[in-house]
Amino acid sequence: MKPAACEYVAARDLDHALQVLAQAGGDAKILAGGQSLMPMLNFRLLNPAILLDINRIAGLDRIIVKRDMVTIGPLVRHRTTATHPVIAKYFPILTKAMTHVAHHTIRNRGTFVGSLCHADPAAELPMMALLLNAEIEISSATGKRLVSARDFFLGPLVTVLEPQEMVTSVDLPFTSSSTGWGFEEFARRHGDYALAAVAVTLSRRRNQARHVRIAVMGVGETPLRMTAAEEVMDRNNLDALADVVEAIRRAVKPATDLHASAEYRRHLVGVLAGRAIAAAWGSAQ
Amino acid sequence: MDVELRPKLVGQRIKRFEDPRLLTGAGRFVDDITPPGTLFLAFRRSDHPHALIKSIDLGSALSVPGVVAVFDATDIENDLRPAIPSSRMKGYYATPLWPLARGKVRYVGEPVLAVAAESRYAAEDALDRIQIDYESLPFANRAEDAVADGAPLLHEDAGTNAIVVRSFGRGDVDAAFAGAAFSVGATFRLRRKTPVAIENRCYLAEWDKRRSALTLHSSTNIPGVIRDVLSDCLDLPGNRLRVIAPDVGGSFGSKGSLYPEEMLVAVLARKLQRPIKWTSDRLEDLASTSQAFDEIMQAELAVDADGRLLGLKADVIGDIGAYSIYPWTGALEPVQVVSFMPGPYRLENYQARVRGVVTPKAPTGPYRGVGRPAATFAMERLIDMAARRLGLDPAEMRRRNLITAPEFPYRSASGIIWDRSGFQECLQAACDKANYDSLLRKRDEARAEGRWVGIGFASYAELTGIGSRISVAPGMPINTGTETATIRIDATGSITAAFGIASHGQGLETTLAQVIADELGCRIEDIEIQHGDSALVPMGTGTYASRSAVLGGGAATLSARVVRTKVLKAAAHLMELPVDKLVAHNGIVSAPGSNQSITFKEIANAVYAQMGRIPHNAREDLVASETYDPYFGTATSATHLAMIEIDTGTYGVTVTRYVVAEDCGRVINPMIVDGQVQGAVAQGIGVALLEEVIHDDDGQIVTASLADYLIPIAGTMPPIGIVHVETVLPPTQGGFRGMGEGGTIGAPAAIANAVSDALSAMGIEITTLPITPDRIFQLITQQGSLPQ
Ligand SMILES: Cc1cc2nc3c(=O)[nH]c(=O)nc-3n(C[C@H](O)[C@H](O)[C@H](O)COP(=O)(O)OP(=O)(O)OC[C@H]3O[C@@H](n4cnc5c(N)ncnc54)[C@H](O)[C@@H]3O)c2cc1C
Repeated sequence: MKPAACEYVAARDLDHALQVLAQAGGDAKILAGGQSLMPMLNFRLLNPAILLDINRIAGLDRIIVKRDMVTIGPLVRHRTTATHPVIAKYFPILTKAMTHVAHHTIRNRGTFVGSLCHADPAAELPMMALLLNAEIEISSATGKRLVSARDFFLGPLVTVLEPQEMVTSVDLPFTSSSTGWGFEEFARRHGDYALAAVAVTLSRRRNQARHVRIAVMGVGETPLRMTAAEEVMDRNNLDALADVVEAIRRAVKPATDLHASAEYRRHLVGVLAGRAIAAAWGSAQ
Repeated sequence: MDVELRPKLVGQRIKRFEDPRLLTGAGRFVDDITPPGTLFLAFRRSDHPHALIKSIDLGSALSVPGVVAVFDATDIENDLRPAIPSSRMKGYYATPLWPLARGKVRYVGEPVLAVAAESRYAAEDALDRIQIDYESLPFANRAEDAVADGAPLLHEDAGTNAIVVRSFGRGDVDAAFAGAAFSVGATFRLRRKTPVAIENRCYLAEWDKRRSALTLHSSTNIPGVIRDVLSDCLDLPGNRLRVIAPDVGGSFGSKGSLYPEEMLVAVLARKLQRPIKWTSDRLEDLASTSQAFDEIMQAELAVDADGRLLGLKADVIGDIGAYSIYPWTGALEPVQVVSFMPGPYRLENYQARVRGVVTPKAPTGPYRGVGRPAATFAMERLIDMAARRLGLDPAEMRRRNLITAPEFPYRSASGIIWDRSGFQECLQAACDKANYDSLLRKRDEARAEGRWVGIGFASYAELTGIGSRISVAPGMPINTGTETATIRIDATGSITAAFGIASHGQGLETTLAQVIADELGCRIEDIEIQHGDSALVPMGTGTYASRSAVLGGGAATLSARVVRTKVLKAAAHLMELPVDKLVAHNGIVSAPGSNQSITFKEIANAVYAQMGRIPHNAREDLVASETYDPYFGTATSATHLAMIEIDTGTYGVTVTRYVVAEDCGRVINPMIVDGQVQGAVAQGIGVALLEEVIHDDDGQIVTASLADYLIPIAGTMPPIGIVHVETVLPPTQGGFRGMGEGGTIGAPAAIANAVSDALSAMGIEITTLPITPDRIFQLITQQGSLPQ
């Protein structure tokens, strides 16, 4: 379990990083927190020619608060996201989700952006990016493009990123402070990748749910928005809960793996959704 | 003050002497040792469960910079003899153990060839370039298939896959069942697990050309056994073969057997005349370290109308993996399942059969509790199933059947002799500690709210501190029943005590020092305990089977007494007082009633360094080497009580309350005993709820990372209440009973019972461990009463 030899480059700044990526002929890998990449190198699942370390680039580790959004840099560690007061104020659901991400030591190094780029179908942050309508800024030596989280994830560990590209920031637009939220996750042990999780935001107007967003993970190849279920809930109240849960169970196509059968996961995602929607309903003002 | 009334160190919560070095990173493990010129090994392991090795193409492996050599079985054929895990058992087949697969492979993970290189990196680079061609052979993955007629044979020479077959019986079981009010039965399944020590296995062998001698540093808990077997395999006398186990980061049994990689580093160090090292990575550990607890147990219990046990039938298939492990053999685990199944209960009639079956999986070996976690799981489930049928409280059911004080010594239905131990007392103590009646009320209140809460017991007894009368493993020709302590006071007055044991987390450097300080009358801080080195005593087997406190403590007591007598005799000369007027305490010899005293240091100096202080014909070195043999073993007993809650939606199980009441005789150090109980219960919770080695239908091991093989973590653990019950002291030296394994024996059964209790309204009985959320989901779905 030792990685194959590769060239190690510590990028001085963003331009340098993008140059290295451009010249590597598609055979460079970015090293952020390394919590997912290093195991893959050790198992020799990846043998890049160049390991591009971005950790010494100044200024990438900040959460920048703007008028209508926060911008998350590529070196913002999980710990920063988990403890950031602005995140806690505007995205309490994200703060809650972070309590389920791995363990202390891993959170000290692992990054928000790295998690999106790694795109594990049972990771919290890709689901949260989807739920929160994140906009992902992707840069290369030749320019920039913006991709919404909805279009970013293609499959397990697969995203729209090209080998010469780097995610340079993630924007999370603020939601209204009256938004209710619920986050439910179940893992065999706390801190493990989830068997399933559900994140919900909604607002309440005259005892009716509006702006319903439901995202799930662990029950498909990527995190998913449950649009059909959202529609069932929209302009409805908790009386519709059983129907919403049914719509979710119908929409997902979980797989059987070591940890759980597809049938159990389908059952589970419904249970979690019921709880998360009830919590979101209860906390909406 | 009378010495006997002086405070003893035995019984005190003394902080472990091991901890300062281990907690500050000053420990020294095998992997911390790298002599100049060391070559590192990397193994190519079989990716087939059962296949012929057709050809090996080294490709450009040897041209990788730093690569020195590549070896397969044919290259070392003449460099050693295989190890044979022999046994006197009838009809048993001993699979020979070679370092590398010869001609065919028998499990995924079996070492096929090894690259020796200047670095592990280079060795792994070379592995990538080697091509092995296999011809797949048919195989039976599941033990129940492997045991069937016509199943493909893993070892043709054995003529069968069932290389161990034994029967036990007493009384007339059929009559007992015929006369019973009813019987309960089920097929219980304990799934395969792996021990997962934090330190992976690691071996370093060095050849000393000058002496033609080999030193093996090994992460083992049986250095003496390894020395003795390698002496045969390598044809080296014991004085030129030394096995040292430095700090060892846990074993739980997994480092208590001989391994192929261990043999190979020794062979290659001599062959290449360079230090050879191999450090397992986690992938290799999960695929190739000895696994355990893979049992299918069909069991049925006959009971009378008052809940009294009348008869027990058991038919057990133990999946022992591809090879019978050295030295314990593949019989170790399955045979203990049937010999311990009758438990701590009064039971006259018993009929059992056990078959140990080879399958294409990593060999099984000792794991904390050996056989008894499975046996206890089956028996304690049956007890609860019977209690439920009768509407009897499970505590009362046990009270009626646990052996009572006047019945000891009691010969169990399988022939084990239980000396008196707190079978009944522990049950009572567990109920008292947990406040059982109020727990029942809380459970019922929770149920009234629709919550799924359950309480479960497990009572068991185990045989510990086993002496030379009984083999630790059935028919095993190695004597594990003695232990030697060599104690010497040197010229500076400091004390060294050397043992054949090999502490690897048990804190024996502390507990044995407590025993010696009390017996010898010295200061505890003047003692150094040496262990984990085959050169320390003529024969020592190591630390396993809950033996070291009993046997090591006994040997320490005997040797310390001899040395104390010598110290007092020397002091008598120096003080010019009769020896029977003298007492030793805390490093000082004094004569009560006088104000004369002399320190151990002064005595040692007088004995060794000062000519003529002691008459020359009375002068004796202050040393002793005594061996202790408890002959039989002694019963350690316990009752565990678990309370659990199942999430009614996710089916996650949380252990909310846990109590252990155990009788381990005289407690040497309560803090260490508590630690052993906590750790063992954690592993038992792993058995109950999390851990499962899974092989898919292709024979591949799919739980080869710690993301897939789940072990308990801090968050899994409930607070554990522990009661030490000391009924009567056993006849062992010092009154100690072994207690390193018990937690793992009781916890799986207690939790299985608690979960069954929580689901009892649905009529669900747990018969398979681990209890995963998915398994609960399947059980509930089968009952057709899926709640929303
Ligand atoms: C034991 C353990 C438990 C874990 N449990 C969880 C969990 O419960 N939930 C969870 O969500 N995660 C979990 N993780 C994963 C952890 O959160 C990772 O840190 C995270 O997924 C990846 O972040 P990283 O910064 O470590 O990325 P790295 O490992 O450095 O990189 C991951 C991938 O992203 C690429 N990459 C990184 N940054 C960029 C960039 N800016 N642009 C383009 N590509 C980039 C890398 O090249 C690589 O392919 C766990 C990890 C471990 C080791």
